[in-house]
Amino acid sequence: MIRLYHVSKVYDDVPALHDVTLQVAKGELVYVTGPSGAGKSTLLKMLYGAIKPTTGKLLIGGTDIVPMGAAGLAAVRRNMGIVFQDFKLIGNRSVADNVGLALEVIGTPRPAIARRVEAVLSIVGLRGRGAEVPERLSGGEQQRVAVARAIINDPAIVLADEPTGNLDGGMAIEVMEILKAINLRGTTVLVATHDTGLMQRFPHRTLRFRAGRLVSA
Amino acid sequence: MIILGHILRRGFRSVRENAALNAVSSLVIGVALLLLGVYLTLQSELVRLVHTWGQDAQVSAYFAAGTPPAERDAALAAAKAVPGVLEARLISEAEAQAWLSARVEGMGPLLGELGADVLPASLEVRIAPGQGPATLAALDPLFSSPVFTDVDAGRDWIERLDGFLGTLKLMGAVLGSLILVAGLFLTSNTVNLVVFARRDELEVQRLVGATPAFIAGPFLVEGFVQGVAGGLLAVGGLELLHRLLLGQLRAVLVLPESAGLGALPGPWLLGLVLLGAVLGTGAALVAVLRFLLRAP
Repeated sequence: MIRLYHVSKVYDDVPALHDVTLQVAKGELVYVTGPSGAGKSTLLKMLYGAIKPTTGKLLIGGTDIVPMGAAGLAAVRRNMGIVFQDFKLIGNRSVADNVGLALEVIGTPRPAIARRVEAVLSIVGLRGRGAEVPERLSGGEQQRVAVARAIINDPAIVLADEPTGNLDGGMAIEVMEILKAINLRGTTVLVATHDTGLMQRFPHRTLRFRAGRLVSA
Repeated sequence: MIILGHILRRGFRSVRENAALNAVSSLVIGVALLLLGVYLTLQSELVRLVHTWGQDAQVSAYFAAGTPPAERDAALAAAKAVPGVLEARLISEAEAQAWLSARVEGMGPLLGELGADVLPASLEVRIAPGQGPATLAALDPLFSSPVFTDVDAGRDWIERLDGFLGTLKLMGAVLGSLILVAGLFLTSNTVNLVVFARRDELEVQRLVGATPAFIAGPFLVEGFVQGVAGGLLAVGGLELLHRLLLGQLRAVLVLPESAGLGALPGPWLLGLVLLGAVLGTGAALVAVLRFLLRAP
């Protein structure tokens, strides 16, 4: 599902990733871990096309996304859900609007969006909360809205960048349970985290990075 | 089609949510187009007035003393045959004298003492509007004949008018371009503020797979609405100015009542509204492209 071949990234002569080669199979749940500055976020940003590697190939579903332009990357992202540490919800839009956005951009009719939104809100435990605005929700609830947005279009891959970083222990476990449930339905999930407790509670293959190098896979 | 519906819905929602900024943009476009409209109105009216004055353009060619009537008639016939000549007629020495006596008090007895042929006979030619220079050129061979001693063509006046109109049109083009660029710049900056205020939302749209067209679409709708509103403001402003200032303008330009001062014709007003739409949409495109080109 995801393959990297000798991928490096250099920012102004400072290497962020160095000669990384790895692969993640379809349906896997994989942790990406390491200390701050290890290259976890750089790797995830590359996977959703926000930054391009300096060298190397990056294949998603067999297609190299490195040479892709804006329209090509948009198509790749439609098959991908992304969850961020800071949720990245649109503050002045309702929960339903936030979650339904991923379907709106692909031209899904509004009644179908409404039905699907209600269904995914049920999955993440927020049934009937679509009319609320994110600012009134707790951190854990906001992250569950972000997860709902990430899975609403049944993506092949979910990328989660420190999804529990802003949450307390109980909420972090709730969000991780949801990600695990998504994975059990066949979605490939990559979770960047340095929460060792979480990794021990939900053990899966771990890609360890240090100073931009993949030290164990 | 459904995506277009989403784009239109988002565009109109943004118009409502950013009503104040949109009003500023529409006002900027409206003022720019109003200035252009005022200039175009004045220019088109001046062109019309100059053409009206051009109807009075006439040439007086004075016959040499003792020119036989047959040669005068031949000259009259030749003048009438020239394209662009609206009317040609002979003025005899007696008619010229009577005309002057009637207009200048006390001139009659003086002219009587000087003799019957003190004023020469002449050939008066009226030229069709807008054909001054060409008709004068065609009349040149006739007026060069020895039967005429002097020709008062008013040629310089007509040529100066034609030149003035050309300059006026050039100024219009330059002014129009400047207003267009200034309007584009100001509106683009206003839309830029909206893009900046919504950059987080646009970033999220991009991350969930929105195409550049989906992201830009609502802004283009918003720009179009701003532009059309600005154009309609300008048209309304022009109509208001026309009603309020017509009398004053006629007095300033020393125009007779009959000269009139018309508003811009309908197609021109429609053109102003369309120009507003192009301006608003173009400005929005410039603003949103800055965002779209920043990162993949």
